[in-house]
Amino acid sequence: MTHDPMTPSRHALARGLLGGGALFLIWEIAARGFDLPAYILPAVSEILLRFWTARDVLGGAAVYTLGEAFGGYLLGGAVGVALALCVTLVPVLRRVIVPAATAVNSVPIVAFSPLILLWFGMGAGSKVVMVAVAVSFTMFVSALAGFDRVDERSVNLMRSFGASRAAILWKLRLPTALPLILSGMRLSTVRSLIVAIVTEMLGAYGGLGWVIYQAVIVIDFVQVWAAIFVASAASLAFFGFVSFLERRLVFWR
Amino acid sequence: MMTRPQTDFTAAEAAMTEPAEPILDLRNLSKTFGEVQAIKGVDLKVQPGEFVTVVGPSGCGKSTLFNIVSGLEEPDSGSVLRFEGRSVMARDLLGNVSFMPQRDLLLAWRNVIDNAILPLEIEGANRAEARKEAERMLPEFGLAGFAKQYPHELSGGMRQRVALMRTFMFKRDLMLLDEPFGALDALTRTMMQRWLLDVWQKHRRTVLFITHDVDEAIFLGDRVLVMTARPGAIKLERKVDLPRPRNADLVTSPEFIALKRDLLDAIEEESMKTFGPSSH
Ligand SMILES: Nc1ncnc2c1ncn2[C@@H]1O[C@H](COP(=O)(O)OP(=O)(O)OP(=O)(O)O)[C@@H](O)[C@H]1O
Ligand SMILES: [Mg+2]
Repeated sequence: MTHDPMTPSRHALARGLLGGGALFLIWEIAARGFDLPAYILPAVSEILLRFWTARDVLGGAAVYTLGEAFGGYLLGGAVGVALALCVTLVPVLRRVIVPAATAVNSVPIVAFSPLILLWFGMGAGSKVVMVAVAVSFTMFVSALAGFDRVDERSVNLMRSFGASRAAILWKLRLPTALPLILSGMRLSTVRSLIVAIVTEMLGAYGGLGWVIYQAVIVIDFVQVWAAIFVASAASLAFFGFVSFLERRLVFWR
Repeated sequence: MMTRPQTDFTAAEAAMTEPAEPILDLRNLSKTFGEVQAIKGVDLKVQPGEFVTVVGPSGCGKSTLFNIVSGLEEPDSGSVLRFEGRSVMARDLLGNVSFMPQRDLLLAWRNVIDNAILPLEIEGANRAEARKEAERMLPEFGLAGFAKQYPHELSGGMRQRVALMRTFMFKRDLMLLDEPFGALDALTRTMMQRWLLDVWQKHRRTVLFITHDVDEAIFLGDRVLVMTARPGAIKLERKVDLPRPRNADLVTSPEFIALKRDLLDAIEEESMKTFGPSSH
């Protein structure tokens, strides 16, 4: 079968690490050699040092943001798949739900954030909702494409065996849609973290976005970069974890 | 009438060879899709244990006939559908007829065994026991040692055998096979035909078998039906009086060749209606 370009092979991983190392080296030499001020580019070594000295703040913020992102991710995923299922099982709904979802999605999601903050407060709740809104659309589209791949002839075969609608859903529709549902879940990982962090910058009591925002106010750019690095690492780890699950669950491709 | 057999197969012979209770009895069966009449006035009786093959031009309504008998589609009103002596709606047949569609339709995420036990699982059978039973049947279907393989790891012929095994595991008296060997190369196909006869002789189910191949129809069947061009009806019906078990050299015997000529003539006539110049 075709190799999915989004799932990294071992070689790609090694090359990525090598490239990252080289980038850091050049970065370090440039920052020190040209004696750049921290607000333009602090040295990598300083940022790495900050990981250690600010480990409590950064670690706590990372856990906080990952929690929000993961909560919204699961909620949005469930909503998206459930909506796609409704549209599949009750075809008349398609003409209502698909245009509505497209309309909601065509407004940049961040434009909703002041309203969401107003309705759900400055705490984690508003971040979870923002992430869920962002993820649910991607998941709706992916899952719908997945359910549309179900072969009517297979449905008929199951019916000829006397299968109930529930059995057909469980034994045929869901497994058929699973590859596309999971690739949607993989693509949504990065998006969920971005949305959580951006929403935190607009108002929050904690999290990586909040740390970045606070650090900008006190002109601590090493802290900003340290938080960005942690966010990137969290995003990569989340993506890698879901890619791993995907390869385990969709073994037949 | 057009739909009556126009051959040496007389009513007297029919009365002698047909016992009282057919397993399947179709009278005046018709099906219309919007503007398109797919089949029109099909009359057919099938006796228990009989192997009946159906040939006909492409698009004449063979699959439609099977979709009705398997319960997936209701026929037009006025059609009579009798199964095991009772008059039934098509949907009453869902779960009561073992149906193998034109494609193998194996589930990619299930291995050979789990594909084969799908109908038993749907019936609510114990999964471990069903697996054990399927395991025992593997050698008979030429699949020994392939229990744990997935469909994408199998050849076309093997996939077809898994689909056939799935159909056999769904133990119903009437089996409908829609061009099960249509996609196979000639050699594999011949092997599969002989093998199917072996399996059928052991299990003794009633079989309705669609094919495009007249040789296959004669080689396998107790009776061959030729359908007319769309709207499909039964044009010709010929008994195949060739001894069983049947061997490969049968196809060169004079009886076989004479029968084949008759059938080909009938099919040719109908195909001309589909592909020849339009009469209006
Ligand atoms: N669900 C449907 N809706 C509309 N038309 C249909 C439907 N099913 C079949 N038909 C039409 O009925 C006719 C008979 O189709 P069918 O599939 O039964 O033919 P067939 O004899 O099995 O052909 P083939 O030998 O190519 O498999 C065709 O003209 C087809 O377009
Ligand atoms: Mg067909």
